[in-house]
Amino acid sequence: MKIAVINGSPKKSDSASTTLLKDLKTCFPKEISFIDYDLRVSTMSPDIIEEFNQFDALVFAFPLYVDGIPSHLLSCLCEIETYGIENKAIHVYAIANCGFYEGKQNRNALHIMQNWCEKVGLIWGQGIGVGGGGALSSLGKVPLGKGPKKNLGTAFNQLAAHILAGTSADNIYLSINFPRFLYKWAGQLGWRQSIKANKLKVKDLGRRL
Amino acid sequence: MALIISDVESKLLNLKDEDIIIENNGHIHPCIGCFGCWVKTPGRCIIKDDYSDTGEKLGKCNELIIVSKCTYGSYSPFVKNVLDRAISYIHPDFVIRKGEMHHKRRYDNSIIMKVYFYGEAISEQEKETARNLAKANAVNYDGLVQKVVFLKSRDELRGMSL
Repeated sequence: MKIAVINGSPKKSDSASTTLLKDLKTCFPKEISFIDYDLRVSTMSPDIIEEFNQFDALVFAFPLYVDGIPSHLLSCLCEIETYGIENKAIHVYAIANCGFYEGKQNRNALHIMQNWCEKVGLIWGQGIGVGGGGALSSLGKVPLGKGPKKNLGTAFNQLAAHILAGTSADNIYLSINFPRFLYKWAGQLGWRQSIKANKLKVKDLGRRL
Repeated sequence: MALIISDVESKLLNLKDEDIIIENNGHIHPCIGCFGCWVKTPGRCIIKDDYSDTGEKLGKCNELIIVSKCTYGSYSPFVKNVLDRAISYIHPDFVIRKGEMHHKRRYDNSIIMKVYFYGEAISEQEKETARNLAKANAVNYDGLVQKVVFLKSRDELRGMSL
């Protein structure tokens, strides 16, 4: 079985998408290998699109931007549609994560991916919408299925089973296992630390131009 | 004042003198997810191109008119790029709105959204996604969607009162 793992985060390192894809890979038997792709810019080479034909599954991971797909990734999806993919047996799976607590807020981005599959003629497999994405890169060492990653572990095991079986299933929406009020507090503390590190004051967070 | 974000030539649009239009000059950079617009240059995107002040422009408008090709139920890559680069319109802190986590307001203005999607073969599923996307944007802006219109071609925009 050949699986492409496509990271749609624009960040070179420490992205939530990177953490999520790393965790997902632990749900597969050891003999399964993956080919990794990074789509960080708004264009991709036709050679890469051509390579996609060899896979049984394309697994995308990306951050939620303004309720949808980041524009650079959307642009790549358009290029794939224009170029075309001949292998219509490919299943597409997607993991969207958002900084908001509720995984359900990723629903429109996953529906956009689903609509893209329809246009390109690929098979929509399943989407996972992860809430609390702002905490993920700092939870890199927490094993999947434990503590704040308990719900994630359950969802990823189901996703991996569907990828291996080449089956489709309903999207799953989840939040990290961490209280919302604490996540909100920690997030806001993070903004205060960042703005101070930039030699600005906390009140500048609300600066009006 | 209306702010118009459009991926069609402005000559097709029925604009008022006071309207501000953001269109594609072919040199827009994508958002890199750095949050510099919240913690380095609050209110303004740190990427230096013609689109770094869109958040500020959103803060001064009362109508946001979006004209875009419907792309899988999303805005087109250009229109989405402008919106991705404009999150400085909102404040990084969180509020709970309608039971969900969203961002606080930075500005006091209230945005009314009108969205015009065009495309030859927009499916019912894409229309539903597009309506929900506009609605979700409005919740995040703490504004309202006045209308979402689907057109078969961009030519239908000619002379139309937006």
